[in-house]
Amino acid sequence: MSKIIGIDLGTTNSCMSVMEGGSAKVIPNAEGANTTPSIVVPDQNIVGIPAKRQQVVNPKNTVFSIKRLVGRRYDDPDIQKIKDSYPYEIVEGKNGLACVEVEGKVYTPQEISAKILSKMKADAEAFLGEKVTKAIITVPAYFNDSQRTATKEAGQIAGFEVDRIINEPTASSLAYGLDKKKNEKIVVYDLGGGTFDVSILEIGDGVFEVKATNGDTYLGGDDFDQKVIDWLLEEFKKENGVDISKDRQAMQRLKDAAEKAKIELSSTMETEINIPFITADSSGPKHLNIKLTRAKLEQLVDDLIQRTKLPMENALKDSGLKKEDIDEVVLVGGMTRMPKVTQTVKEFFGKEPNKSINPDEVVALGAGIQGGVLSGDVKDVLLLDVTPLTLGIETLGAVSTPLINRNTTIPTQKSQVFSTAADNQTSVEINVLQGEREMAADNKSLGRFMLDGIAPAPRGLPQIEVTFDIDASGILNVTAKDKATGKEQRITIQGGTGLSKEEVEKMVKESEMHADEDKKKKEEVEARNLADGLCYTAEKSLKDAGDKVPEDVKKDIEEKVKNIRDGLQTDSSDVLKQKTQELSSSLQKIGEHLYKQGGPESTSSSTENKEGSENQKKDSEEDKNDPVEGEIVE
Amino acid sequence: MKEDKSMKKSKDGTDMQIKELETKIVSLENSWKRAVADYKNLEKRTAEEKTNYMHFTKSQVIKEFLPFFDNLERLEDHTNDEGLKLVIKDLKNTLKNMGVEEVDALGKDFDHNTMEAMELKKGEKNKVLEIYQKGYLLNGNLLRPAKVVVGQE
Repeated sequence: MSKIIGIDLGTTNSCMSVMEGGSAKVIPNAEGANTTPSIVVPDQNIVGIPAKRQQVVNPKNTVFSIKRLVGRRYDDPDIQKIKDSYPYEIVEGKNGLACVEVEGKVYTPQEISAKILSKMKADAEAFLGEKVTKAIITVPAYFNDSQRTATKEAGQIAGFEVDRIINEPTASSLAYGLDKKKNEKIVVYDLGGGTFDVSILEIGDGVFEVKATNGDTYLGGDDFDQKVIDWLLEEFKKENGVDISKDRQAMQRLKDAAEKAKIELSSTMETEINIPFITADSSGPKHLNIKLTRAKLEQLVDDLIQRTKLPMENALKDSGLKKEDIDEVVLVGGMTRMPKVTQTVKEFFGKEPNKSINPDEVVALGAGIQGGVLSGDVKDVLLLDVTPLTLGIETLGAVSTPLINRNTTIPTQKSQVFSTAADNQTSVEINVLQGEREMAADNKSLGRFMLDGIAPAPRGLPQIEVTFDIDASGILNVTAKDKATGKEQRITIQGGTGLSKEEVEKMVKESEMHADEDKKKKEEVEARNLADGLCYTAEKSLKDAGDKVPEDVKKDIEEKVKNIRDGLQTDSSDVLKQKTQELSSSLQKIGEHLYKQGGPESTSSSTENKEGSENQKKDSEEDKNDPVEGEIVE
Repeated sequence: MKEDKSMKKSKDGTDMQIKELETKIVSLENSWKRAVADYKNLEKRTAEEKTNYMHFTKSQVIKEFLPFFDNLERLEDHTNDEGLKLVIKDLKNTLKNMGVEEVDALGKDFDHNTMEAMELKKGEKNKVLEIYQKGYLLNGNLLRPAKVVVGQE
């Protein structure tokens, strides 16, 4: 069955998506961009960005915003209003419908839209490597029958079998999966490049009903940019006494910089607008260098944001609903990236809006999902579960060491080699933990078991392989195996991942809340483990080196070891780190003395061992390639 | 007789069960093959995407740095420093070695594939009269269009 693509045929930009592997994905156009400008030169068949580039040269033949004409009568007051301001010719066509005339030829808006759709079809086919014949096209919720029919015709002219025309706000809600909810009331706030739409939908049994729509057909991102440009011009004039508003080249650079600054201020609090050599007068070149803060930007565009409030009030009134009745708010359109816009909507409805999906693509993605539903793709998808929380074991110092990270798709398996924490330790206890916290005690213990019969050996030498295996139904098998003896023990945990959504959310939230504190605790434990490990190494080295080490060095090391041991449980991690550092430099003296005594025979094998073990330790700290990655608590 | 019947019945039952299981095996085998194929395709796609990302990242980085180059050239228009000239020459060479090539626009016919018209001025029709901002290609693909002034009779 051929794929059904979803198309957001926009006033200024269009975007398309397709269902792939269970989720909708935006299809980039031939130029590599995710959106295509809805601009057409019909007589030369130029569509998209190239058409936009030649607009200045060829204004009479460059058709833009055709969506404002689709399915409308020539005598419609809206058409009469734009007729004189648009550079291309709008004429009366058959049946009194609005058409455009380019180079003596009359085109219906359907034919113009079809050229945009044809380009998208060709680009989609090139991207997917197969013929695309079916499409879902979105339209604004307020489109009437004539406008919807015209849009469908445009699709047919482009060679599509138009499976369905769906409302843009419905598509956005689908993208957020809101169709799965029951009897909810949804507000979609769409502030794009040139238009503002607010729609109120009610959903019941997967069917969306439009309760009310409102908006402002001439309000969008371009107005925001203009405010910034005007302010920059004013500031530059104040500072330099030069008016650059007549200099087309300077204005172009200013426009680009203003848009860039606006976008930057959605993620930073302050930005610097730098345009070197923007102009020159008799005194030499002039540069524009102005700071713009987010607060200032918000002040500049405040009236524009306030203008979106009345349509929201009106839509609510028309729907007969109160603010409290609204269950979900969805944000669409590039301008909703601005924090102040989000905040305004949030304050208005008293609800955190849905905004995680790219607001420029959300409509197209929703249309793609609808396409997937119609072609049966969505139902056929094999839903693989993920582990909702991290799974791991407790290691030395009561630290939780993760083996399988949260959100890993199951079935999955992971092994890691651990070792003992003390000399001649013959058994280890495996405590299986679930949760995001750094310390074992803060996580949930799913079960514990002992592996005994480990051959007596110095600490860190035995290799105990711990394997976590989760099958497709979420059953967790934990195996611990002593690599030397081959002895193994296992535990099966049923429904280890079967936590309720609330429990998972609570645990994840807690871990985020305690992240800093946990990290500190873990650092302390690590400092303690490191100090303890070094004491052990020190004692072992002294023993191995025997009388080759001068008494004073030996005494110094012994003192330092005692000093660390005394404070091991009470010192702060900083103090311990300091002490560890000191001991480490003293230890180097052992090596120095051994080498000073010279001769191959005096470089005893035990020294080599010592160096080997130190290297090993370093490796394990640095790149974790070493098998001894952690030590199981005794 | 009675026994025969029940045996036949149970045989039918077993046959049905076998048939059912066979169908199930076929369907499971299919899903499994599909999953393996999906994975193989994903691997190929990932490899391809990696290359694409590399090209994309390279072009993004160059694109971000082009404004600095523009400004160096603007500075050159205002000063007559030998050192600056060398820096620019070096930079041009580096860009060239990376596959970056300037869009040849001045005096040429306007081409919407590589140029963006910013303004019309009196002059030879459809010829590029001035360049606001130079355009660049990376390995033949457009990196940034040249912003140009086009002639009009």
